[in-house]
Amino acid sequence: MAYSKDFLTELYKELVELRLFEEKLVEIYALGKVPGHIHSGVGQEATFVGTLATRKDGDYYKISHRPVGTAAIIGVPLNTVFSEIMGKRDGNSGGRGGVNHVALLSKGMLGFSGTLGSDMAVGVGAGLTIRKNKTDNLVYVYFGDGTANRGAVYEAINLAAAWKLPVLFICENNQFAISTHVSEASPVKNPGADRAAAYGIPSKIVDGTDVLDVYEGAKELAEYVRSGKGPAILEAKSYRWRGHFEGDQMKYRDASVTEEWMKKDSVEKMEKYLLENNFITENEITKIREEINVELDKAIEFAEASPATPAEEIYEYLYVK
Amino acid sequence: MLVTYGQAIGDAIKEEMRKDDNVILYGEDVAQMGNIFGITKGILEEFGSDRVKNTPIVETAIIGSAIGAAVTGLRPCVELMYADFSLVAFNELFHCVGKWRYMHGPEFKLPLVVRSAMGSSFGAGAEHSNCLESLYMHATGLTIVSPSCAYDAKGLLKTAIRSDDPVLFFEHKQLYQTKENIPDEEYTIPFGVADIKREGTDVTVIAVGLMVKKTLEAAEILAKKGISIEVIDPRTLVPFDKETVFESVRKTHRAVVVEESNKTAGIGAELAAMLQEEMYDELDGPIVRVAALDVPLPYNIALEKYCIPDANKIVSAVESLF
Repeated sequence: MAYSKDFLTELYKELVELRLFEEKLVEIYALGKVPGHIHSGVGQEATFVGTLATRKDGDYYKISHRPVGTAAIIGVPLNTVFSEIMGKRDGNSGGRGGVNHVALLSKGMLGFSGTLGSDMAVGVGAGLTIRKNKTDNLVYVYFGDGTANRGAVYEAINLAAAWKLPVLFICENNQFAISTHVSEASPVKNPGADRAAAYGIPSKIVDGTDVLDVYEGAKELAEYVRSGKGPAILEAKSYRWRGHFEGDQMKYRDASVTEEWMKKDSVEKMEKYLLENNFITENEITKIREEINVELDKAIEFAEASPATPAEEIYEYLYVK
Repeated sequence: MLVTYGQAIGDAIKEEMRKDDNVILYGEDVAQMGNIFGITKGILEEFGSDRVKNTPIVETAIIGSAIGAAVTGLRPCVELMYADFSLVAFNELFHCVGKWRYMHGPEFKLPLVVRSAMGSSFGAGAEHSNCLESLYMHATGLTIVSPSCAYDAKGLLKTAIRSDDPVLFFEHKQLYQTKENIPDEEYTIPFGVADIKREGTDVTVIAVGLMVKKTLEAAEILAKKGISIEVIDPRTLVPFDKETVFESVRKTHRAVVVEESNKTAGIGAELAAMLQEEMYDELDGPIVRVAALDVPLPYNIALEKYCIPDANKIVSAVESLF
């Protein structure tokens, strides 16, 4: 399949942005600038960038806790993203929600639930609105292989399928639910795709370390969903490079397997592809990285300077009135 | 016009659906059947299957999808057949519905209503009879409505459907067939405004749902014994109209709380704590709670009756204050 240089460069930039974002998140967390816990998505960029390359205006997104930088790819300003992550007033909820609740509805982001999977049906509900508005938009609903086993997930996909709503469910199979390997938790090999048969909907498995493979799979299913035929499930195979949270010693898994997976680096793969096809030069790559780092640093600086939400505003946003 | 509590609820939904085509209705058996109590009968015929839908048995997804529909511009009025089943979606109600706007910011509005039938109904058993308002009072960000008569049910449901905040609307099964004359012209009832169902001077009795009816029966018996009780129906437990209750207690100096759910950590516990914190100097005696016994509600009718407050138990509780 022939891709334009612009398209490929754009994908690459988003991959790098997400990678640098997730690395930066780890960095500022280590410096004590982030309350609570973070869940680094380093190494899982391709699933998000590849699927989101099929997005269009008016689509909705239900992202997950990993990688949170996906919010920036969708279009939430970095100042807002980092302010929310650092618990500051300039975050979307003024730091009331925090790192897992970075969301702007004006960008189509529906929000996230910390009880994983309970937000899957939120995406399904947004499908009702799309149906009423009679557009060819869709809802991107991301979930992991661990979450895939929850009952709330079954209910949500079943409802979307029964009502033929425009939802693309994306199972990011990074193989781990904290310490539990997917093979221990799921009786099927592919906890997203294999279960599609239970709902009578199509599915596809893609290589979550290859952004173009993800894109092709997502494109095919997104076209199906946009045509009004109902939901579909895309499962991307990847690997969680870091621990579930920072400080996770990962003694439950074989470090040599992790190393093997880290060689399947989606960013490096894309870089190689672009260089080999003369779509990009080393200088341009350096420039892209520098520019993104500058943007990230500026946003972090902004967030650091953002005040904390004052205590007298603690009840705000609880009710509209 | 003379309507039942059930008809008043159905009429409120229809009137609001006529006004705003973003209002949609879905839940288990709400369409052709008009729900298992016949409350939503005729709504499918008038508004069509795009706006009125049966769901599979998916309480979790009913609530989750209502959030997604609400934040993106619809006004879902969804039904969880029995309040008991809301516990299947307790996570969604407690964590998601009640916290979504707070966690994600002011762009997010959740104009959704969750209707549920609650309460004892002569042998429905331990899992189809619960009154659960107090569980949800403990949550944040919810509005909790528990109407005791047709007039209140209609006016409060219309307010609920128009509200930009999420509302849990509990309908008592034993009240569905009670009849009342309500205005022909349109009206709404604001949240957070209690109604004094009967004025009195000696004891303030705060009662909720079906217990309002039972308390009014008790008031007749007590009147004959020379005790005058003031019966207050908060109508919405959240927000709670403290001022009406406080004003009454300033007059009577005695308070009783009547509820149908279990006594421990119930509505009465909360109101008693609140009154002793804020009205201590006004009180001439302990605040007495009348509530169900702390057991799963038995199926046997005699045992069920033994568990739940009735007029006689309310009379005894009031008399214990003298």
